Amino acid sequence: MKAHTRKGWMLALTFALVATFASACSSNNGNKNAASPSASAPASASASESGTEESTSPYKEKYDPPVEISTVWGVDPALKFKNGETIENNVSTKWALDTLGIKINSLWSVTDTNNAFVTKMRLSMSSGQKMPDTVTIGDAQLAQDLIDTGMFQDVGELFDKYANDTWKKAMELDPGVWNPYMRDGKKMGIPVLDYAYNHDYLLWIRQDWLDKLNLEGPKTLADLEKIMDAFKNQNPDGLKPDKVVPLSIGFKTTMNTWMGDPSWIFGAYGTVPGQWNVAADGSLEWGSINPASKQALETIKLWRDKGYIPAEAALWDENKTSEPAVAGTAGIIPGPYWMSGWPLLDTAKNVPTAVWKPYAIPTGPDGKAGRHGTNFTSGVTLINKDMKNPEALFTYQNYLFEHLADPAKGSQWDLGVFKGYDYDLDASGNPVYLDKIPGGEVNINRYWLVKDGARIPDAQMKSLLALADGKEPETRLEKEVKNNYGPETPAAAKVLLSQPGISISDMFTGPSTPTMSSKQDYLKKIELQAYNEIIYGKKGVDEFDKFVANWKSSGGDQITKEVNDWYATTK
Amino acid sequence: MYHKTASYRVFNVINTTILLLLALMCIVPLVHVFAVSFSAKAAADGNLVGLWPVNFSVEAYKKTIDNPVFLGSLLIAVKRTVIGTLLILFVACLAAYALSKENVQFKGRSIYAWLFIFTMIFNGGLIPFYIVIQKLHLMDSFWVLILPGAVNVWLTILLMNFFRGIPKELEEAALIDGSGQFGILFRIYLPLSLPALATLGLFAMVWHWNSWFDGLLYLSKKEQYPLATYLQTVIVSRDLSSMSFSKEEFDLLSQKTINAAQIFIGALPILIVYPFLQRFFVKGLVMGSVKE
Amino acid sequence: MGYLRRTWPFHLMVLPALVFLIVFNFLPMAGVTMAFMDYKPWLGFSKSAWIGLDHFRALFEREDSIQVIMNTFIIAVSKIVFNLAVPFTFAILLNEVRQRFLNRSIQTLVYLPHFLSWVILGGILVNFLSTDGGLVNRVLGSFGIGPIPFLMDGDWFRVTIVASEVWKEFGYSTIVFLAALAGINPSLYEAAEVDGASRWKQTRYITIPSLVPMAIVVGTLSLGNILNAGFDQIFNLYNSLVYDKGDIIDTFVYRTAINDGNFGFATAVGLFKSVISMILIVISYRLAYKWANYRVF
Repeated sequence: MKAHTRKGWMLALTFALVATFASACSSNNGNKNAASPSASAPASASASESGTEESTSPYKEKYDPPVEISTVWGVDPALKFKNGETIENNVSTKWALDTLGIKINSLWSVTDTNNAFVTKMRLSMSSGQKMPDTVTIGDAQLAQDLIDTGMFQDVGELFDKYANDTWKKAMELDPGVWNPYMRDGKKMGIPVLDYAYNHDYLLWIRQDWLDKLNLEGPKTLADLEKIMDAFKNQNPDGLKPDKVVPLSIGFKTTMNTWMGDPSWIFGAYGTVPGQWNVAADGSLEWGSINPASKQALETIKLWRDKGYIPAEAALWDENKTSEPAVAGTAGIIPGPYWMSGWPLLDTAKNVPTAVWKPYAIPTGPDGKAGRHGTNFTSGVTLINKDMKNPEALFTYQNYLFEHLADPAKGSQWDLGVFKGYDYDLDASGNPVYLDKIPGGEVNINRYWLVKDGARIPDAQMKSLLALADGKEPETRLEKEVKNNYGPETPAAAKVLLSQPGISISDMFTGPSTPTMSSKQDYLKKIELQAYNEIIYGKKGVDEFDKFVANWKSSGGDQITKEVNDWYATTK
Repeated sequence: MYHKTASYRVFNVINTTILLLLALMCIVPLVHVFAVSFSAKAAADGNLVGLWPVNFSVEAYKKTIDNPVFLGSLLIAVKRTVIGTLLILFVACLAAYALSKENVQFKGRSIYAWLFIFTMIFNGGLIPFYIVIQKLHLMDSFWVLILPGAVNVWLTILLMNFFRGIPKELEEAALIDGSGQFGILFRIYLPLSLPALATLGLFAMVWHWNSWFDGLLYLSKKEQYPLATYLQTVIVSRDLSSMSFSKEEFDLLSQKTINAAQIFIGALPILIVYPFLQRFFVKGLVMGSVKE
Repeated sequence: MGYLRRTWPFHLMVLPALVFLIVFNFLPMAGVTMAFMDYKPWLGFSKSAWIGLDHFRALFEREDSIQVIMNTFIIAVSKIVFNLAVPFTFAILLNEVRQRFLNRSIQTLVYLPHFLSWVILGGILVNFLSTDGGLVNRVLGSFGIGPIPFLMDGDWFRVTIVASEVWKEFGYSTIVFLAALAGINPSLYEAAEVDGASRWKQTRYITIPSLVPMAIVVGTLSLGNILNAGFDQIFNLYNSLVYDKGDIIDTFVYRTAINDGNFGFATAVGLFKSVISMILIVISYRLAYKWANYRVF
């Protein structure tokens, strides 16, 4: 009974603990293997080996006889298969074999829910299972660990040699994408590019409320306060003041998140908390100890006292902040540009008059504005040292960057990629999508060898801007965006890009430093504690200075030094 | 007769009322979850559902059940629970009976008992366990769901204590009649231990029915998953900070109604079994037979 | 030889359990050596470096180590006590409900919350316990109490944690005692009736003593959780306002492990918890044997 159920917990916990934990101290001395000259030797050896047959570059547009690439899969739980296919054997693996002469050999797969892929990867490492030729990892810590194993090779040279121009140009949009995977000047993994600005946010405001109150959208925090006050005390929908959440934000675990994020309030005073920013002197500093944070905390406290933000914001996570927004009782919610598709689309089902419109981030008293930015990558692709034909991976990816990422109008995949999967043709030859496809749509982008196939960071925003300006969707990507996102998304993208300069990205992307391993959690804990005690009035705002002093002496200074040492190596 | 006294009657009324209130307290959140599971997604996401569904919808149930894998996973779960529970009971009965003997009769029992307890408290973690599973070639085998959980020390100790409550005279009489220890266990002890076995069986069943992590980790195909593991894969928990998904996934992102529906889909079979087990908690079953 | 002839059936009966335990428990137990290693998955057990007691030192050297361990201990002990006392009492009271239909209905209803997960329950509790129009505070408010910051004040947080856990599990836990009640010899009650003993006296001198051995067993075994304060529950409910009273060993290990990841450290903490549990179990086993002459297992 009691102990019985608890044992279940204990087990689950042991699993969670042992499973999700990477191994520590990745940076200091684990690099010897990776850095040893032998790292790239097998690759060049095998390259020349296969080169002898052809006496030219081993790279081919199509391999005959086919070559093999082994990999492992974390299968998205939402991914559907049709026609009895599996991740090991489907329309995409068949395409790779037929078109490129590449046989995808799957060593194992796991349904990736509750972090199962990371767990399984770690376990298979521990039990000495064979490592795949290539694997794409989303989890940052696991990626660092895998690099530290020394089983994967320097990809820099391969990339320079084999990647096509489209891919290279995409990679050059932000040279910083390589930083996390640099070891002693060697590139140990290929960053997987993702769409830019996905994570940057703006303010979604109830336009119908603004209109009824005859108010303009906010330009400054002062404007915003007037709006919040009007939303609360003269609510256009007739809601009682205590039923309205003028600004729905939450900070259960962090001040730096994605939906209901409060970090732009800090941005208005010139910093972004919970990440490493470039300070005035060019070094990196932890945003949460910047004096600007003190002012931001005072503002948040004031707003809480006046009931502008949820009384229990300290208990609210991202999804909770969306609840009053969807219910129609919130007036403003910060969030990404795609939020009109989800969850805000549902508000009108609860309150038919509700209209959400995107607004730019307001400025503070000194005209400053800021929000956190998005890194351009969603993971990394590693190449095994013992992979026989590493260039085959480039054959595969080059093709996708050329034909899938953002092809001009008239490309072979204009209508869709695989007929009967992501599109189909009706009787008169017109393309049909989504539910109209016989047997339903499947998200073929999850079938590719590398997560999401190939993405060019700025491509999606460009398409959205084109649509926002009233252009009919023509290219593959424009059609995809039009099909997949909510009605306000192009407009939101435009608002987002009207303030490109205010996005501040976390500048530290390296492996965690030695002091971080031992001190970071404690530092985060005292930070959140101090912040919330100030916001909830348990301590005066001067507690902030005490916190900063405490932070510095408890290891913060040491971490700052280590972070800057790393930063110096990336320049 | 105490039943007839006025004070006992007053007590009985008050007691029953309090317990009913307590039961009500237990059921209110469940009714809420039930209402959420039958509500429209928009209402659930807005936290607008109280104790009655808002904009009635069976969408959440449909999404969960409408998968070719669902029925198969249900069958596997039943198979796992039946076989697994029987194995736990079988192993526990044997061990518990032996351990229930006094030191005099079974010298060395304490060593076994402490070995058992030791495994309850200490464990080596997931990595070595995984290696063992691999070396035994249990990966991707149905038996990986059954064999590692075959010994439940907690239940064994519990059963041992129930066995101790059975009068020694029965064993002694049987021994004189020439019965062996196995005969005594199966012909005398087990029939007398129905309440205990029902309890154990219930715990073992619930445990097997709800276990999902082993399936996820040691089985690679969805077709092999038991229900609990399958249910884990219905909810899309995505790291939204690296957003990249399609329209259909937007729909799945709203988890509240599906989450709620899963509770009932997952628990219903077990809940149905319970009232049948309750009939074994009949008073006096054990001792009644001892009376001449 | 005579020993074996007399006891072989018993050894044979223990054998299946023993074989399973050796394969699936004792063999993997070699893994605890990780607690003393800077374990790297790709190096495995044979090549990872030995670092002695460093992980244990790390556990105790943090500024908030003592606080976290004390939080864990206080919450876990309260849970153990109430998780024993409430089902015990409840079983006895339920036993007095004579109407079979009511008895069974109550029994069934109270065991249902066991099937809710803390992920779901966490969300529900945040709603129900909100100081801002939550159901519980509204009810209390109508009596002129509160609002009580159940989740935002450290001391209330502990109360909430223990109470909600007991609420969730007591029905399920009662089943063991119901089974024990079913085992009481009815002739005892019949004899007491003849002697004219009141119901209270019957409860005091027959029912309770019959349940005590089961309570001792359950209680002793639950000492295995002396440093498990309930990870799932606290992880879903805690927040920075209650860190000083609500942060426990498991949440702390989870956070540090996510950030820097360390198999060895997690194993070391597990080992520390196991050792403490084992010591307490041995002590309580001895005490029960000495004072009650009762062998728990």
